[in-house]
This record gives sequence, structure tokens and C-alpha cells, in this order.
Amino acid sequence: MNRFSLPNLGIGLGLRTVHYAHILEHNPAVEWFEILSENYMQTKGRPLHFLDRVAERYPIAMHGVSLSIGGTDPLDRAYLAELEALRNRTKALWVSDHLCWTGVAGKNTHDLLPMPYTEESLRHTAARIRQVQDVLGAPLALENPSTYVEHVGNTMKEWDFLAALASEADCALLLDVNNVYVSAYNHGFDAADYFAAIPFDRVVQLHVSGHTNHGTHIVDTHIGPVIDPVWELLGEAYRKTNASILLEWDAEIPSFEETHADALRAKDFLVAKAGA
Amino acid sequence: MSTTRSLRDVQVWMVGAITGKDADANAKDVEKYVTASARLSAAGRFDVYRSGYHARLYECLLDDYPVLAAILSRLDSGEDDQFAALCRAYVDRHPSASPNLNGFGRHMPAFCREVKLERFPGFDALRVFASELAALEWALVEVLHAETAPPLEIAALQALPPEAWAGARFIKSEGLRVFRFEYPVNAVFIANRIDEIVPEVPAPSPNAIAVYRKDMLLWRMELTPAMLGVLEPLLAGKSLGEALATIEAEVTDPEVLAQTGANLMVWFREWVDAGFFTRIELADAKA
Repeated sequence: MNRFSLPNLGIGLGLRTVHYAHILEHNPAVEWFEILSENYMQTKGRPLHFLDRVAERYPIAMHGVSLSIGGTDPLDRAYLAELEALRNRTKALWVSDHLCWTGVAGKNTHDLLPMPYTEESLRHTAARIRQVQDVLGAPLALENPSTYVEHVGNTMKEWDFLAALASEADCALLLDVNNVYVSAYNHGFDAADYFAAIPFDRVVQLHVSGHTNHGTHIVDTHIGPVIDPVWELLGEAYRKTNASILLEWDAEIPSFEETHADALRAKDFLVAKAGA
Repeated sequence: MSTTRSLRDVQVWMVGAITGKDADANAKDVEKYVTASARLSAAGRFDVYRSGYHARLYECLLDDYPVLAAILSRLDSGEDDQFAALCRAYVDRHPSASPNLNGFGRHMPAFCREVKLERFPGFDALRVFASELAALEWALVEVLHAETAPPLEIAALQALPPEAWAGARFIKSEGLRVFRFEYPVNAVFIANRIDEIVPEVPAPSPNAIAVYRKDMLLWRMELTPAMLGVLEPLLAGKSLGEALATIEAEVTDPEVLAQTGANLMVWFREWVDAGFFTRIELADAKA
């Protein structure tokens, strides 16, 4: 159990539009759903209609991409208010977003841009996390990103930055084991060093997904099957956390049956690991 | 080489090197900000973000405008078709300032009327058609996200006493859009999305369309001139009596007048059944 007493919900799936009809018609035995928060913001129509029906039947966790927690524009209070309203609407068990920034001077790139890992970034981001947690009245779970560049001015490693940030802001973590693998490949570090620094008692959720390897670099596309080394990282992280797991699939999304079967494979993998 | 740039400075440079017309020039400083890896140069690594930006927003516009994309993409082959060029210009002109992308494509109908695509001068001849097709496709997005309110029930219509009809105002559903088009864009939409073909750009043929949502599904209804003559004033807030008076004063086509007289109640049943209205307001009460 994590220090925030957030439960292990089991193996979850990302709620995707193309699966609404199947889910509502068949009530599949999914343990929980993760929603992409922004898909249900700035709308008053059909997305919320379906979300309400799913949230009546399944536990929900919210996962965002636009909080821009490391950004230097002021925190978007309207966004935060809508995020909190969505949390109340869905009774989401926790809210997560990424260690990143998404834009500056009012322009949003809709990408998870990498933070410089410096003392200034650390102080700045920790202060903003505390502000967000004050609005939410609950810990924010921050996800380690996949990154493709490192800043010239970095003064610390990502894992040290993340650990110090979590401590300074007293926030939760969402550990994406695929992102650890991707960034380790792109930046030439050892995932074991990353895992050695992570305060696993703060990890409330794990992400696992596929990626696209271009040889020179890997991109976190959430496409295709999870490769064995990433499954291994998941097993190790799960042993240390016993946290809820989410299988991400965001592009070229297969049928519900296929994504659900993948999630069940994750469960089989963990059962086998536990028995090994 | 400075390594003590502020967080703000780093972020301003990075966004400037990813977005906008000056991005290529700004990205020339990449080695001052980003390190190389064992496999890729600093510029090569940074290109993941630069290319991802346009790809992501292109995907968003493709989701919103699949029929416009199908038609414009077919007109020129090669590495940059007309839809891709349109999207690139759109992204530069209307960068996102919102936390989500639900409204990102909203400027496209107006943008199609004004944009100059240097590599595709032929777009000038298409711009009215493209704008109208974009308006139809954007209406589907807007209606999908429109507020859900209980529709007016047929029973409420039936309960309206005859003497109250003239003063009745029919309050429009948030999930209804009505258009007059010069081109038959709904036929193009049907050909592409239902018959799965990419039709030729049609000749002008004036028409009118209602886009609406019923039972969480999106629908389109073709409107005759006579139907439009009643519906448009109602949606503008006029009472039924005022709408009919306008028709009597302004419409000279005897066929339109005859259709209106003969079909008015049938149309109302169709419109109420389709959820065009949420309630009826009478002169001194609300139904």
C-alpha cells in the first residue's frame, strides 16, 4: 500500500470513444477505467453522457495532459476548476498528469515537453504542485514522461529530480515503466538507476504500453504490443508497489476485445511473476 | 555557452523553435539548448518535438474534417497535398491556446474563405465549396459537444390550444445548426462517409441543411425553401405568427406558399421529433 492509502484497483483500461458502445452494452469485467481528463472538458454533450454511464458502473481515475505543471505561465485556474468539477462528477479516485510543460506565452503545443532538471525547475514545479493539490484537496499523481532531448543546463538526473520533487511537493507518482524504458534508450541510462531512486511508497499507479523504435530513438506512441523488457520492468515495479496498473493504447486502437485481452495478459504476467 | 538560462527563457525558445513561421530560424540555436545523444544530433532529437507538433494538430483537423481532407488530398499527390498545406497554414495562423483540442478546428470555415495557399493557387476556385463543407463538418463537432437538454415533447405540441399557436415561440435546442449553402455539401458528405467514395467537387446548387443531435446520434436533415421560410424566423426568436406573416409578406413563389400551408403541422412534428426545440414560450407563460 502506498503512503496515500489509495487502493490497488487491479488492471484498468483507458476509456476510448470507439469502445463506448461495447462497454455499455456488454458490461465487460474491467476492474477500472482511466479517462483522459481533457476529453471530457470544454464539452457539455455526448462525451459526458457516455462518461456518466461508465462512471456509474466502474471505478474511474483521471489522467491529464494539459496541466502544464512545469510551465512558467500562471496556472490556468479555469482549467483547474473544470478538472475539479470532473473529479466530483466521476468520483475519480485520483488525478494524475505529467512531469512536463505544454506551452508558454499562451500557446499550447499539446505535447509533453521536457523539463530542465535544475534547482529552479524543482522549486517552481513543487510550488505549483502544492497549489494544484490545494485546489483538488487531494494528492496529484505525477507521471514520469518519455523524453527525446536533454537540456544543456540540466544539473540533475531525471530520477533524482522526480524523487526530490515528490518529497518537496508531497505528491504521489504515476510510474510509467514504458517511459522509463524509452527515456533510458534515448538518453543512454540504466533503468535500474531510475528504479533505485524512485520512492515507491509514493507510486499509486503504473502505466505500461507499447512504443515505436526508430533505431536512433524510441517514441512513446502507445501503439502495438508491450515488449518483454517493459513487461519485466512492470513486474519489478509491481513487486515494489502493488499499485493499480493501466495498459495504455492511444493510437491504432484495436477492438475492445483485443485491448481487454491485452489487459488480461498483464494480469496473467503478474500472477506468474508473483508465483515465481 | 551559457548553462544558466532561466526556465522561462528555455521555454520561450523551445516553443518558438517548435511552432510558428519562425520555428526553422529559431531552431538553428538548438545546440545551445539541447544536448546530442550517442545516436542523434541535438537537431535530430529536437525534431521529434518539431514534427510531432504539426502531426498532432494535423491529426486533430483530420478528425474534424475527414471529408474535406478526402477531397483536397486527392487533388494533388506528392509529399504535401492541399489538405496538408491547408492544415499547416491553419496551425500557423491559429495556434492552440486552449488546454484541449475540442475547439481547435473552429476557425476552418472562415479560414478556407481567406487563406492563400502559395503552392496550390487552384484552391482559390474551391474556397467557397471548401468553406461550406468545413462548416457542415464543424457543425457536427459543435452539435456533438452541445449541452444536453430535454427536448420538447410531442405531447406539449399537441396540448397547445389553437389560439396559442400564433404567439408561440419555439426555443431552439443547443444541438441544432441550420445552414444555407451554395454547394450541395451534404451530398458530398454522404458520398464520402456513407458510400465511401471521393466525389468530384460539385457545381453550385443552393440548398439548406439542419444538423442536429437526437438520442446522442448526429443527424442531418435537408430543408426545402418552404421549410426554411418557417424555421429560420422561429430560430431567430420570432413567434409562429410573426414567422408566417413574414412569409406572407415576402414570399412570392406560389408553390412555397402552398407547401407551407399544406405541410406546416407535418414539419412541426418532424422538427419536434428531431429535438429541434427544447420548449415553447407563450406570450404570457412558458410551456
